[in-house]
Amino acid sequence: MAETQNWVPLGIDTNVPSMARVYDYILGGAHNFAADRQVGSQIEKLVPGLPSVARLNRRFLGRAVNFLMDQGIRQFLDIGSGIPTVANVHEVAQERDPAARVVYVDKDPVAVAHSQLMLSDNKNAAIVQADMRDPETVLSSPEVTRLLRLDEPVGLLMLLMMHWVPDEDGPDKLVAHYRDALPAGSFMVMTHVAKDQIDDTVDQAAAVVNRSRSADQMHMRDHSQVSALFDGFSLVEPGLVGCGEWRPDGPGDVADEASMNMFLYAGVGRKD
Amino acid sequence: MTKPSRRPDAVPPEGAAAVRAREALSRKWSYLLSSVVVVALSRDELDAELGAQLDALCAALHSEPFDPAPFEEVGERLVALGYVNEPGLKRTVDVLGKGLLTLEEFRSSDRHTVRVVGGIGALTCGFTAARARAILDQQESMQRSLLKAAHDAQRDQRQSEAKFEGIASSSTNGILIVGLDGRLAWGNESIGVIIGRAPEPGTRLAELIAPNSIVVFREMMERVLSERGEFEREPMQLVCGDGDFAKVTLTASLLRDDDGKPSHVLVMADDDTELALLQGELRRQSLHDVLTGLPNRQFFTTHLETVLRRADPEFGVTIFHLDLDAFGLVCNSLGARVGEHLLQHVARRLRALMSHEKAMVARFDGDEFGIVVENTSLTPDVATTMATINADLGEPTYVDGHGLAVSVSAGVVHRPSPGVDPVELLRTADLALRQAKRDRRGQWELFHTNEDAAGRRDAALAVVMPGAWEQGDIGVVYRPVRELATGDLAGVEALLHWDLSDRCAALADQSGLILPMGEWLIRIATGQAQWWRQRGELDQQFGVRLTHHQSTDADLVSRVSKVLEETGMPAARLTLTMPVGVLGVADAADNLGTLADMGVRIALDDFGLGPRDLAWLSALPVVSVLVPKDLVHRQDPRSAALIPAVHDLGVNICVDGIETAEQEKWWQEAGADLAIGAHYGSPRDAGEFLRKFSQGRAATR
Repeated sequence: MAETQNWVPLGIDTNVPSMARVYDYILGGAHNFAADRQVGSQIEKLVPGLPSVARLNRRFLGRAVNFLMDQGIRQFLDIGSGIPTVANVHEVAQERDPAARVVYVDKDPVAVAHSQLMLSDNKNAAIVQADMRDPETVLSSPEVTRLLRLDEPVGLLMLLMMHWVPDEDGPDKLVAHYRDALPAGSFMVMTHVAKDQIDDTVDQAAAVVNRSRSADQMHMRDHSQVSALFDGFSLVEPGLVGCGEWRPDGPGDVADEASMNMFLYAGVGRKD
Repeated sequence: MTKPSRRPDAVPPEGAAAVRAREALSRKWSYLLSSVVVVALSRDELDAELGAQLDALCAALHSEPFDPAPFEEVGERLVALGYVNEPGLKRTVDVLGKGLLTLEEFRSSDRHTVRVVGGIGALTCGFTAARARAILDQQESMQRSLLKAAHDAQRDQRQSEAKFEGIASSSTNGILIVGLDGRLAWGNESIGVIIGRAPEPGTRLAELIAPNSIVVFREMMERVLSERGEFEREPMQLVCGDGDFAKVTLTASLLRDDDGKPSHVLVMADDDTELALLQGELRRQSLHDVLTGLPNRQFFTTHLETVLRRADPEFGVTIFHLDLDAFGLVCNSLGARVGEHLLQHVARRLRALMSHEKAMVARFDGDEFGIVVENTSLTPDVATTMATINADLGEPTYVDGHGLAVSVSAGVVHRPSPGVDPVELLRTADLALRQAKRDRRGQWELFHTNEDAAGRRDAALAVVMPGAWEQGDIGVVYRPVRELATGDLAGVEALLHWDLSDRCAALADQSGLILPMGEWLIRIATGQAQWWRQRGELDQQFGVRLTHHQSTDADLVSRVSKVLEETGMPAARLTLTMPVGVLGVADAADNLGTLADMGVRIALDDFGLGPRDLAWLSALPVVSVLVPKDLVHRQDPRSAALIPAVHDLGVNICVDGIETAEQEKWWQEAGADLAIGAHYGSPRDAGEFLRKFSQGRAATR
């Protein structure tokens, strides 16, 4: 959100693209408006493999949640959850343990309203409307207080999120704030656009996003910069790798085109 | 979303090998699908799900009678798995289209090929329909979310109208705050855009509602105020400033003050443009044929219903059910791709030809098209319309270097009663088409099933023939008809000649090209006859053989009389020969009678010298019969015994295909009158024929 104190939730203006809805469009959904589809198709033209990237990110989310379930994690804080569609965190987690609790966080009021409508029957899942850059609001929200026990390990998910946070907003401090609120044994899962793995077309794609009326501006980071965000966490095997390379489990987990597997860095770290 | 399920009607296959083959196929399906779709299933779950689906499909393929419904259901279930879009459908069609037929259990019978094709079509239909529903559901849920977001923002800031204005003014949806007295408290800019003017505060909201929507509106507001639901949503029309109406969906929801008491009503006017556009696109996709872009049969049927109701009762509507005559030939000989291009060409031409009429052109299945015309006083009659279509499509179009021309057969229903059921109407048109095809296309099925090399060669030739004709590669040649008794010239027969085939007329008959080409043959031959006659070089009876298709052509009489008029040829100098087998068709017998009345001499070809053949002679005005080559060569005394009976009816006998002096002598003794055949020289072009004739005449002097 911009630094001005304008409280108007931009997502309500359907003329302004929202990254949550653009992502849904690229994933193949129809939970979006014309402005979202316009930006989505512009980006897709520049990076034709983008649907694979979105899909791989979704597949990685599933593998990561399952991995965390294997580690005994039963509560999840998903920041930047977007439009809750197919194979979401609560679906994956509650499929294995209906008592698993999930709190989603998003700032897009339409995504939040949609999530509320979808989750209205699910007593173990809820959404908070908040900007992730305001960790206090997130962590003290009634939903987090009600569903998460912060003295037990939590799975913190930040997928396709941190590249919307510019360096001047202090992404490392932001992650540290969340990390410090969670007990040892918690995990952080992250995907992030990989600056050093991709070619110029992605810069152009980022430019499309940045030129659109969206409030979100993309900031790509290279391997060392993303690794630095895992400060205080020990990356589990295989470390910070291409999204398609993180413990692939089947044909759908990797893209046909090799470069798309490296488009995003993906990593899971355990708080020491 | 959907969890894997074993379907109750999925019967497992017999035998371990068959089970393994199916498993391999379903795993391949799962593998290919998983890299393009987003589903909530793990790899094993997806394998299991698709295994169950495949079993259901196989059971359907084995079932008697075949029912494609399970295929449609599988298409629907694919959509329910999650985000499975067009790439997912494409992979499914690819893998199943090829894979099902390679399964041993379906390899034994051609019947299964047809079923697989039909089944995949049904699967695609099921998928498309379910996907359209899913998209609309998702869009609808987004509209609800948008409303909720606006509502929530307003509630959170309910004491600050200025702040609420901030949010509402940035929305493309019209937003109104209405007091409990029904008067407008506030409206955003977008509502002004929708209705063409900014509504004044204090205006009664009911004044913005079109008269035809007022009842719905009042009921909706009553429901809102009685707090029955979270919100109410109804499509209706608003009065625009310029007297027009704007179609919108109004969503109304109750706002409360701090004490929880109702204070205002929030009304959102969604001008539906986006949803309408999306719905339009989905409708277009599911109602149009992908190849040609024309409406499909389903759309056509729906449209027909509307058209029947609204048509001008004085002129009514006309329905054409068209079928390309040569499409099988094109596909068999030149391949499916050329066939597809031809269909696209025909679609474009039909649309262009009907562009002056209020008409819909649709593609049904394969090579069948439908047209419905809403007639006016200016609409040409059916015969003219069909002639226009056939004349246009008869112009060769060049596809991959092949000059292709087609003719169409049609079943036509003219001015049906407005109350008739569209499906019944289409069935009637279809029946009429089958009738037309049966009468005119006797040889067709034979050609289709002919898979040997010669058959394919014929098919290829028939298809390139229009181009060859246009380029002058097909010509007219002449050969003599001799008096058997004297050896004198009794007449001249004109034939089509093409270096590439000696079955030129037969091939043209199968492709439908014979209609224009046969008319051309008669025109050239009679023109030549007149030329020779006027120059005093040759004055003879000229004969042309008609094919099956030509003989039953409803326009035969007008074609012939047009040619006679143009060339000035006396009708009595022209002999037209019809195959005897066609006489059972009413049109052919009518043609024959009318031509005879005009003075044209009529002969019968393929005359078998049997009692049934004889019966025609007493019923029809025939002057001559041609005994076919095989009978001529057999020299059966029983044939010869019937010759006096033919003579008794006043009909003379011509033997076709005389090759030797011995054959000539035998038939001469049997009493035949005339002869044609290689024995009298091969067919020659006009110049050579005349030279040969003059030499012969000089020699006999």
